Amino acid sequence: MTDRNVSFTRATTAGGGAKVSLPGTLRNGICVDCNVKMEVREVWIDTKRTVDGEVVVTPKQVNRPVCPICGEMKGQLIVRTTPIPKPKPPEGIKPKDFRKFIKDSLLLDILSSYHTRRVAFANANRPEIKEIPERYRTGEPSPKTLWQAVKAIIGLRYTICKI
Amino acid sequence: MAQTQVVTDQGIGELILLWREEPASGMESIVCLDNATVVTAAVGSTFASPGSTSAHHTDSGLLLAAIDTVAGDTTNTAGDTILFDHIFTATATKNVAGIHVCNNDDDVAFIECGFNAVLAMESGDTLTIDGQSTIDQA
Repeated sequence: MTDRNVSFTRATTAGGGAKVSLPGTLRNGICVDCNVKMEVREVWIDTKRTVDGEVVVTPKQVNRPVCPICGEMKGQLIVRTTPIPKPKPPEGIKPKDFRKFIKDSLLLDILSSYHTRRVAFANANRPEIKEIPERYRTGEPSPKTLWQAVKAIIGLRYTICKI
Repeated sequence: MAQTQVVTDQGIGELILLWREEPASGMESIVCLDNATVVTAAVGSTFASPGSTSAHHTDSGLLLAAIDTVAGDTTNTAGDTILFDHIFTATATKNVAGIHVCNNDDDVAFIECGFNAVLAMESGDTLTIDGQSTIDQA
């Protein structure tokens, strides 16, 4: 279990029910340690399943980029996507409950906009072509307030602020 | 557009089949969604008809494959979570807009996900999926 996005684990729906979190991590074919182009080779990996409470390990042959120098199978990070949860519904009918709901909705909407722009920006500027601040690749730290999110979007929109 | 991810109606239907002790299938495979624009995950999406009129990739390392790791876990109440990890290796330049998590008969999509933006993958790129689904009372 690698690269799990543990710092942003709020679920997609509020309250009980089925929730999903699915961050995706895109890496290029250049070794993160040796900085050389990796070769796609057939390698054996262990697939794991839980059957009747027991973890069953089965070998499987897959294509993976492998570093010809160190044998590592990890490329440089291009971008990691960030799941955005839906806002929690109001907990009551008092004005303060609705105010909180509207504030949360606004924050999540602006946060979505930031992460959409960030992922597109990092994807268009691959690490082998251009160096960009790490926060645009990882999405961490993610803005926590409305003001931080607006500032982050402005930073992404205007080239001079991206540095 | 935000990254969207949902448990589909098809997925919930399959879970209810299990509760009713009728033949049901388990989480087994995963496939990348092909679309030039951002995909919005929808509960009504099915294996045959992914959201935002996307299609399943059928080649270049992004096609339907058995998930590398599927494991049980706990988030709030014992055994309420399933974790699944998979790595795709692209063998050509392709767009990936999202993923489908499917069953072992490859006819049900349990989970649909549309990424924040379309990921432009080149040959030798890898896409790691660290998925988690929880069904709880919290």
